[in-house]
Formats: sequence, C-alpha cells, structure tokens
Amino acid sequence: MNNYEQIAKKIVQRAKKKGAKQAEAFLEVGRQSSCRVREGEIEDLTEATSKGVGLRVITKDNRLGFSYTSDFDPASVDTFVDMALRLAQTAAPNKLNGLPTAKELGEPSETGELFDPKVAELPGDWKIKTALEMEKAGKAVDARITTFNSVGAGDYVAEVYVASSEGLSAGFAGTYVYLFASPVAAANDQLQTSYWMDYKRFLGDLDSPEQVGREAARRAVRMLGAKRVKSQQVPVIFDPMMASSFVGSIAAAADGNAIYKKSSIFVSKLGKKLAPEHVTVVDDGLLKRGLGTAPFDGEGVATRRTPLLEKGVLRSYLYDAFTARKAKAKTTGNAARGYNSLPHIGTNNLYLEPGTKPPEELIREVKSGFYVTAMLGRGADPVTGEYSRGANGLWIENGELAYPVQEVTVAGNLLQMLQDMDGIGSDLQFRGSSGAPTIRFKQLTVSGD
Amino acid sequence: MPRASATTTKRPTPAQLAPLATRQVAAAPLLPQPQLERLLAVAMERGADFAEVYVERGLLTAVVLEEGRIKSAQTGLTQGVGVRVISGAKVGYAYSDDLEEAALLRTARTAAMIAQGGGSEQSYKVSRTPAPSYYKVPTPLADIDVARKAELVLRADKAARGFDKRITQVNGSYADVTKRIAVGNTLGHYTEDTQDLCRLSVQVVAEGKNKERRTGFYGGGGRVSFSHFDTFTPESVGREAARQAIATLGAAECQAGPQTVVLAPGWSGILLHEAVGHGLEADFIRKGTSLFAGKVGQKVASDLVTVIDDGTVANSRGSINVDDEGVAGERKVLIEKGVLKGYMYDSFNAKLMGQRSTGSGRRESFKHMPLPRMTNTYLAPGDHHPEDIIKEVKRGLYCAHFGGGQVDITNGNFVFEVSEAYQIEDGKLGRPVKNAILIGVGPEALKNVSRVGCDPMPDPGLGTCGKDGQSVPVGVGLPTLRIDNMTVGGTKVA
Repeated sequence: MNNYEQIAKKIVQRAKKKGAKQAEAFLEVGRQSSCRVREGEIEDLTEATSKGVGLRVITKDNRLGFSYTSDFDPASVDTFVDMALRLAQTAAPNKLNGLPTAKELGEPSETGELFDPKVAELPGDWKIKTALEMEKAGKAVDARITTFNSVGAGDYVAEVYVASSEGLSAGFAGTYVYLFASPVAAANDQLQTSYWMDYKRFLGDLDSPEQVGREAARRAVRMLGAKRVKSQQVPVIFDPMMASSFVGSIAAAADGNAIYKKSSIFVSKLGKKLAPEHVTVVDDGLLKRGLGTAPFDGEGVATRRTPLLEKGVLRSYLYDAFTARKAKAKTTGNAARGYNSLPHIGTNNLYLEPGTKPPEELIREVKSGFYVTAMLGRGADPVTGEYSRGANGLWIENGELAYPVQEVTVAGNLLQMLQDMDGIGSDLQFRGSSGAPTIRFKQLTVSGD
Repeated sequence: MPRASATTTKRPTPAQLAPLATRQVAAAPLLPQPQLERLLAVAMERGADFAEVYVERGLLTAVVLEEGRIKSAQTGLTQGVGVRVISGAKVGYAYSDDLEEAALLRTARTAAMIAQGGGSEQSYKVSRTPAPSYYKVPTPLADIDVARKAELVLRADKAARGFDKRITQVNGSYADVTKRIAVGNTLGHYTEDTQDLCRLSVQVVAEGKNKERRTGFYGGGGRVSFSHFDTFTPESVGREAARQAIATLGAAECQAGPQTVVLAPGWSGILLHEAVGHGLEADFIRKGTSLFAGKVGQKVASDLVTVIDDGTVANSRGSINVDDEGVAGERKVLIEKGVLKGYMYDSFNAKLMGQRSTGSGRRESFKHMPLPRMTNTYLAPGDHHPEDIIKEVKRGLYCAHFGGGQVDITNGNFVFEVSEAYQIEDGKLGRPVKNAILIGVGPEALKNVSRVGCDPMPDPGLGTCGKDGQSVPVGVGLPTLRIDNMTVGGTKVA
C-alpha cells in the first residue's frame, strides 16, 4: 500500500471517528509537462506536479457534505475533514444520500494496461523536437500558412486513489500524451485557422507529428476564400470531429439526472426507436487503451460498456449511484469527477459505431449540401433538443467539395436530427475520449444571406 | 415598504466555521518575503531576463439546490505557487501546490531551465507597491455563515416556483471564493490583493401544453459584500429566471437569414466581448492571428461605437485592483467613435511589442501563465431612447436574454446565443421565437450598428470567459443597441 492510498484511508477513518455515517476520499496526483514552439524556437515550457483530495461525507441524519484541499499537511487535512462534517449541517437530510454499497461497487473492471512507461519516461527534449516537426510539416504544406496560433506537445501521468467506509480501497495509474496544432493561413486579406490534435494513452498509438501538422494546415488552407451562402434547407455532413461533438449532445440528453428531473428530451423514450437501424452509440469504460478507460468511475464503481442507442433504439440512460437510487435504476459506472468536485454524470469513451460507407461516398450522394468542419457555440440544449450553432466548412455541389463557407449557422432539433441520420461513414476515429465517423443528416437549416 | 423577510434560519451552525475559514486564507503572509526573494534568485540562476513568483491561496464555498432542497454544501482550499521565467521570447513555467521549501526551490529551478546562460549569483529584493482598491468587502465572503448562503438559494427557489405553477424544475447554486494573491518579480515589485467573488444563479424549466419545455436562467453577484443580496434579492433572481421560461412557452420557429436585430441592455454585452474583445488581446495581435492586427487608427465600427475595457468598476465581477502580474487595473478605450485605438496588453506581450502593460495580464490560478484578458467590457451609451429604437423597426428580432457566445479570432466569426427573443412587427414586440443564434464577423457587425441607446447597463455579474483552457470572471455591458443586416440562425426558411 503506498503513501497516497494510506492518506485516503486515514481521511476516511478520521471522518468516521468524527461522527460521519459514511465517508469517501477521492485523491488525485499528477505530473504534467508541455511545450509549445514558434518559428523554430521554444515558445514556452511548463512542468508541474499537482495533487488534491476530495472528501464526501454522509452524516447520521443523511446530510451530504463535501470539502477538498490540495494541502496534505496533517493539521490542514484534519481541518478539512471537520469542515466537510460541519458543512453537511447546512444541507437537507435525504434518505437517498449514500455512497455506493459494496454490491454496487463490484470488483474493479479488467481494463488491460493504461500506463505506458514510454510516456512516463519521455526524454525532456521529445516534446520540443515533436512540436518543431509539427510546425515544420504544417508550414511545408502551403506557402499561405503564415503562422500558428499554437503548436505543441505534452504529457501527463495521473494516479487516482479512492477509499470509502463501504470497504472500498482502489487505485490506478495512467498515462496521457498529446499533440496539437492550430495554424493560420492568409490570402487576399482573409485569415483562416484550423485545429487538429491527437491524444492517446500510449506513445505507439499517437499520430506522427507530421500527420498532425499536415492535417491541421490542410484544414486551414482549404478555408481560404470562404464566403456566406444563401439561407436554405439542405443535406448536411459532419466530419468525424464535428460528429463526435454531436454524439456528446446525445450523451448529455441521456444524463440520468436530467431524465429524473424531466429536463431532457429523452424523458420516457427508453425502448423507443429514435434513429435508423445503423445508429449505435456506446459509452465504453473498458475500451482497450482508451483515453477514457478506467477500472472504476469517480466513486469507485466498476466501469462497463453501456449502449445508449442500439440499432437506433434508446437502450439506457447514464447513472451514478445517487441518481440511480433516485430513479430506482442501477448505476452504470458513469460518475465523473475531479478531486475538487462531487461526482456528476459523465462519459468514459463515448463513440458512434462506424457504418460501411466511405466518407467520399456520403459526399458523392449529395447534389447540393454542406460539409461542416468547424463549429462555434454549444451543442444541443438537452431540455428542448434545440440545436443551433455557427458553422464553417465546404459547400457540396454535385457530389464534390466545391468551395469554402463561413459565417453561417446550422440549426435543427436533436430528435429530428437523430431520425435524419441517413448516412454513417466507415471512418471512425477517436480524438481524445470520444469518437465518431463522418455522419450525414438528410436535412438541416443553413442560415446565411 | 416591507421587504421579503430576510431573517436567517435558526438551524444551529457551528460558530467556529467562519473564523476557521478566514484563518485558512488569511494566514499571513502568503509566502515570507525572504523566501520569495530566494526563489527569484534561483529562478535567475541560468541568466534569464526576468522572473516572477505568483502565490495564491483561496477558499471556495458552494451550496447546491435541487428539487426544492439543499443537496450539498461544499468547501475547498486551493493553494500554490507558480514561477515564471522569461528569456527573450521564451517562457519557462512551473508550479507547485506543495509549499515546502524544497518543493518550491525545485519549481524555481524547473522554470529556469528555459534559459541557457551560465550561473549568475545575483540576489533580488522586492518592495511592496500599494494597490488601488476598487472593491471593499469588509467581511470576507468566506467568513459569512454558510447557512445564510443556503438561505439565499432556498429563497430564490421559492420565488421561482411561486412565479407560475408551470415551473417544474429549479436548480440553484450559490458559490463564493475568498482568494489572496501575491506577485513578486525581479523588477523589485511586490503586490498583494484579496479578491472576493460571489455568484447566485438559478436555472429553471417550465412545462407548457403538450409537454413543451422551456428554460430560464438568471443570477448575479460580483466582488461584493454579502449585503449585496439585500438589494439584488434572491426573489428577483428566481422570478426573472421563471419569467424567461414562462415567457418563451409557445415560441415560434426562428426565421433564418439577415434581419434587423435590437439587443436589450446589459448581459447582451457578450456580443462585444466576442465580436471585438478577444480579437484585441495582445497575444493574438503579436502573433498575427487576429483579424484586428495592424488596424490601429483604422475604422472598424460605426461612428456610434465606443468600446471600453475597464478593470476599475466598483465591485464588478470583472474588476481587478491589480492584474495577476501585479500591474494596477486600468480603464482603456479600445474603440472610439468607430476607430480602433489600441489593444489589451499583459507585460510579456507588451515588452515584445514595445508597449506598456494595460493591466490585462490575468490567469485562472497558479497553475497557469498570465494571458492578456478582458475585465469589464462595455459600450458607451448613445442618445437614442430605447423605446424609439424598437418603434423604428418595421420587421426584426428583439433579443431580450442571452446564453453564451464564442469567437474564432482569426476569421472573426462569432456567435451569440439568444435564449429569449421576440419578433418585432411594425415597431411592437410580437410572438416569442426559439432557438435563435446570431452570427457575424466582428468589424462588419459593428459597422452595421445604427442605433445606440441612452440606457447603459452592466450585466448582473454572470460572466465567465474561457481562453486557452483558462476561465476568468468578466463583466460586460451594453445599452439598447440596433444592428442592421445581422445573420440570424434559425430553423425556418422563407
């Protein structure tokens, strides 16, 4: 048992001794470093270690208190335990308050390896070299790439420990490594930018710096000359990056807490067919080498694979222990949190399963439409399903990407959009912990001139 | 006039909690000066141009309400030190939440790695620069009994539910932070500040016929004493959130395409923040990534447009006595009668550009490097009466309340979400419309400003601005404003 695991256990013991009915400590320790470059030189280097612990207590009269601290000095930790208990007196008693029971916790899931020693021991100059390669590769794409908003690389090693009065004591360590590039292209008094990145647990899974730099530059350059189009209703295609944010809107509507509070358009839709046969959306906490993979969630509950939409049918909502108890459902292991927050419902690895059509074919089948590659604003409002965002991308004419478009919006409603998903590409890709292939909607409203 | 009762609840709360909170934050000094000077010397060991030590300790309190009762009360302590070392245009940054001497020295040495020079043995002395005072909060918010904070949220909940029986859900929260910062650097400057900040907010859901659901959101606060909520009452917050949700029941689909839009005063200032604010931040200007780069002295908006960023507004959410580099907050005229006057500078970008800092260097916490950021960004009032502005519009959209916004500073595209809007027909407000969003390109939109009201209004203290993964509190403000030919995103095509 290491020192951090002991600290977590001690905090729980102290809270119990001080009169808590139940107590849970969630402790995080991290070490991160990142580098950005500009014009062939280092722009900045950042390195740090950080830590923190959050304590959830349930009092004998079922009130909930929470406190966190990044100061592990024993006297300070004692104070923070006392504060959690005192604060609980301000909250209302609620019989449903409670930590996950031993039965709900289950055994931590078998996830396979999440820690890459190659990432943990990356030489100091790897990030500098990688970032410089990205910048160089991006610039080489086109003379019109004039500069970068930023281009860089970073890594992060994180350990999580969670202990509770319900017999929980678990921990795991994981690594993360990422590349990002945001170049600027200029021509005829117009500036355009784009963004591309990769984010993985294992160094061997990471795209090469040339790939990231080139793709970012290609996306920026093709936007030069962008203009508005007329307002109209046309088929709209989201590239995989935009598609994955749309899938995030689906998950937000499946948030069990929002469902319980009747604040989601998915209320009373369980078991209903909301999308065509080829639409399957999954949250998978066990995905091999996944960025969002973990043996347990933010309150120690074993993670699992949860289909949200299966062949178009809404199969499940996402729950943590408390919300599941309220809704008389079972936790799905979707408690997300940092040490400084109470658990809330989040996703692990969220993705839309790929279809069989290459993305080019989805485009080819469109006579006149919009291929969206960047958006501004928030996704769907989970309460009303309304979807309205600024969009940039390329106009499709006779099955070909014809010219760049900016300063327009796309609007629709999440339920209608789900029904209208008439094409799913074969090109599933993960950028971080969510993934999607190219998707096509039969019709959305484009607002412009 | 009797006010709504504001007696505190009689639930026993430990009297010890408050002083305990203050002791956690106010244990002075944040870092003994000799220790800070030692860190500066170590940070300069490899011969850099400049080093800075930023120290922070903050105590957060939050109360969350769901389903008519207080779900949880929370508190958290954040403390740490960030060391920044600058060598030419290169920056080294390291931070630590461990305040033991060995850990801090390691942090300073890590940041120093950016410099390539030989060992310098210089020592550095700092002396305290007095800071101005734009927010006086005699009793730190951390010292106010948490039961009183809970009561605010309960009262807001009751008012929202009492507004109309169609209000089916109310989520409320109150959060405050009492934060102390200290900044010392190799120029010999040392500054301290105590920053209190609070926000009460309520989000509601209304349910109308055929399961139609609409939402409403309202709240506010600032760098204010707790007594702020005697006048900015939780009842007014709850009622306003409820009013928005009820008012938009039965809303029509929004027409897509260019329209004349009229913006209500206040929170609509997000438009400025997105349309021009971000594009005038010095880092984007220096890197040539903003479409406003190289445009000082040029006309970027209509004659009616004067934009100010002011960190010195009394008690405002976006105000700063000193920025996070220790430079005093300032009032800056960014655009005067349509002409671009200047940019917002932090020290680092200012030095590289041969300018001076405008007190705009802000950071979310010790875990971040300072960036040029806005404070309170508002539009100077004009001389049109708000009623007349609406009356003159034959057909258009009145935007009463807003969600958020976002901008791509490179091509200048910005969006601005309208959560409550009404059709204007022959100078009168008509049916509410839903799912509206405005989109434009900064300078073009501002050139189309055709009426500016005489009713300047700051937002109630709601705004948080995100940039490069850092969130900082900001203020915005706007009088009633008319913009012609603005693209409205909607679902209906004529």
